[in-house]
Amino acid sequence: MVADPFAALSAAITMAGTGIATAWAEKVVGGATVGAMAEKPELFGRGLILMVLPETIVVFGLVIALQLLSKVGAP
Amino acid sequence: MARALMAGPRDKLPSVIATLHEMKLIHIIDHHGEDETFRIGKPLPPAADLSENLVKLRSIANLLAVKTPPKKKETVRIEELRGKILTLELNITEEDAARKKAEALLSDLDRRIDELRPFAALELALETYRGYGTIAVLVGHIVKEVSEADFEGVPTEVFQAPGFVAVFAPKSAADQVLGVLAKFGFTQIDIPTGEGNPEALLDEALADLEKWKARLEEIEGRLETLRDRHAAFVVAAEEVLEVEVDKAEAPLRFAVSDHSFVIDGWLPSARSAELRERFEAMGIFVESEEPHRSHEPEEPPVLLRNPKPVRPFEFLVHLYSTPNYHELDPTQFLSLAAPFFFGFMIGDAGYGALFIALGIVAMIRLNRESIWWRIFMVTAIGGVWALILGLFIFGEAFGIPFHPPPAHLEELSFETFGISIPLQPIIHKAFGVADMVYLSILFAAMHLGTAYIIGFVNEIRHNKKHALAKLGWFLCLFGLFTLLTFSLRWNGIALWVWNVPLGWFPRTIEPLGLSGFVGVKLPLVSLVLIFGAFLALTESVIAPIEIAGLLANIMSYTRLAGLGIGKAAIASAFNTILFRGMIFPGQIGFVILGIVFLIMAHLLVFLLGWISAGIQALRLNYVEAFIKFYKGNGTPFRPFGMRTTQEV
Repeated sequence: MVADPFAALSAAITMAGTGIATAWAEKVVGGATVGAMAEKPELFGRGLILMVLPETIVVFGLVIALQLLSKVGAP
Repeated sequence: MARALMAGPRDKLPSVIATLHEMKLIHIIDHHGEDETFRIGKPLPPAADLSENLVKLRSIANLLAVKTPPKKKETVRIEELRGKILTLELNITEEDAARKKAEALLSDLDRRIDELRPFAALELALETYRGYGTIAVLVGHIVKEVSEADFEGVPTEVFQAPGFVAVFAPKSAADQVLGVLAKFGFTQIDIPTGEGNPEALLDEALADLEKWKARLEEIEGRLETLRDRHAAFVVAAEEVLEVEVDKAEAPLRFAVSDHSFVIDGWLPSARSAELRERFEAMGIFVESEEPHRSHEPEEPPVLLRNPKPVRPFEFLVHLYSTPNYHELDPTQFLSLAAPFFFGFMIGDAGYGALFIALGIVAMIRLNRESIWWRIFMVTAIGGVWALILGLFIFGEAFGIPFHPPPAHLEELSFETFGISIPLQPIIHKAFGVADMVYLSILFAAMHLGTAYIIGFVNEIRHNKKHALAKLGWFLCLFGLFTLLTFSLRWNGIALWVWNVPLGWFPRTIEPLGLSGFVGVKLPLVSLVLIFGAFLALTESVIAPIEIAGLLANIMSYTRLAGLGIGKAAIASAFNTILFRGMIFPGQIGFVILGIVFLIMAHLLVFLLGWISAGIQALRLNYVEAFIKFYKGNGTPFRPFGMRTTQEV
């Protein structure tokens, strides 16, 4: 039995939302990076950095989700 | 680096260039010809011939499709090159022209055959489709069968084959007939040129096609033999010629007057004596000196010098940006942190051993110069960490724990298989989320703290204010870390860190006896430290806003925990499903299938882990840490004579 179903649900929504946000942001950056690399291949390093920046969003989501899960009672 | 200047009489130029090329010592600074007396030099006389030969050779290599360097090396002498290239060119251009002709003919024939094929089915001579005054001939593909009755009184004659139709109708009614045909899905085609029975013409074209195909094969066979015989020569000659062209065109980078030349460049200071000795013996004036501390108009190029085990990591630094001449080389910092993070995220003895095995295979099989060699070396060092952490901290291999977690004895573990490993896990990933997160924060503090210290050392040498800012940020980081540790004391590791390594840290502000803030118990000293960030006001007015950014940076390291747990969870899910669902029931067919799936699943987890852990480990260094101290934007040291190797 879950003590607080809403906490569990919130954790799920947090992960889904931040996951989608990250994916969308990386799509934009990734596309642009590949375009730029076609012109200047040496931009790979910079591109990689910009490409992985949005991942911070989902990491924050993970932290929040873990905090929420600590409110969920033991099954 | 030392700046070197060499000057000498012009007639000695060729021998000087040859020696420089052989020494591979000087990073030449190009002369731009802004001087009246000293203009940009002209290429040495053989340059034109050499480049022409090189162009010819490259086109030969292109025609022969020489891609991989052949196994056996061939030595080439420059004097014989020209003759050999000319004969080869003659042979090959002839064959190539023949091949092009055959290919053109074949594509013509293909088109002709496509055109003729439907007409062959109708068996009307080609000339019967043409040359009428009042009759329109409509020929084309059709979807449904059509009959003369469909044309509503227009006098027509219809010839049909499956999917194909020829309609003869009066020109005046052509539009009407087309309208009717449209309902039957008609698409008109052109009538092929030529006369006679289309079937005979088709057979003739098909025979021609076969003949030319055979001929093309013959030509390609001949080119193949030419490639086998000459590939080694072409590759070797290209190499030799590139070097010669490099040498012959070198004066374009020097300052040359009517009777003398000047070469300007950088070289490692330790070798200036060697340069002087060698060239003064040749009667060339050499002068070299260390750059002044002040800002030179031109930054010296940078040659990274690291101990051998760290060298594979240099490419990762170049990938971000080459360090500039005035800062510390971050390679060693990166070579410690990145593999450890990688190992922590993998955290599995089985995968760790696999990474090491891959590294060993790469060491034996791959060329040291290749980028893959370096990638495999770097991941193998990460694999060592993964193995150590997997054995002694997490106690698992291939997602299977050595012992089941205490409260979940039913979980799959090595004990299920009757294997008892005398290593007890300190953290069980799936049940120690808080431990993992706290460890991530601890690593964040250590990693970023080191980054600030390096930043401080970098800055103190030329800007005291900026160095002060780094110190402020270091204090701020420490304040945030103590605050986080304090508030996570409910976790065992955090409590230990709080009580033992941070035992000296003042819990209260003594003379006032304050131990909290508006009723909340807090270590106030931490708050004071966080305001250390205001020292960064010396850097920029808005810098202190970045305190939140620093907190975000620390939180960003929780990806270490997230990826570690996530990967272990995927592996253990595959294990549970496949072992319990397919292998344990014991039906032989399912067992085999289960093992195949198991291998594929682990391969997937392994590759995903490699990519994601690799990129994340790099990212934590590039984005979180490097920004704190690293500027980069230097020029890599490329001495004249060093062949440029392929970069990523």
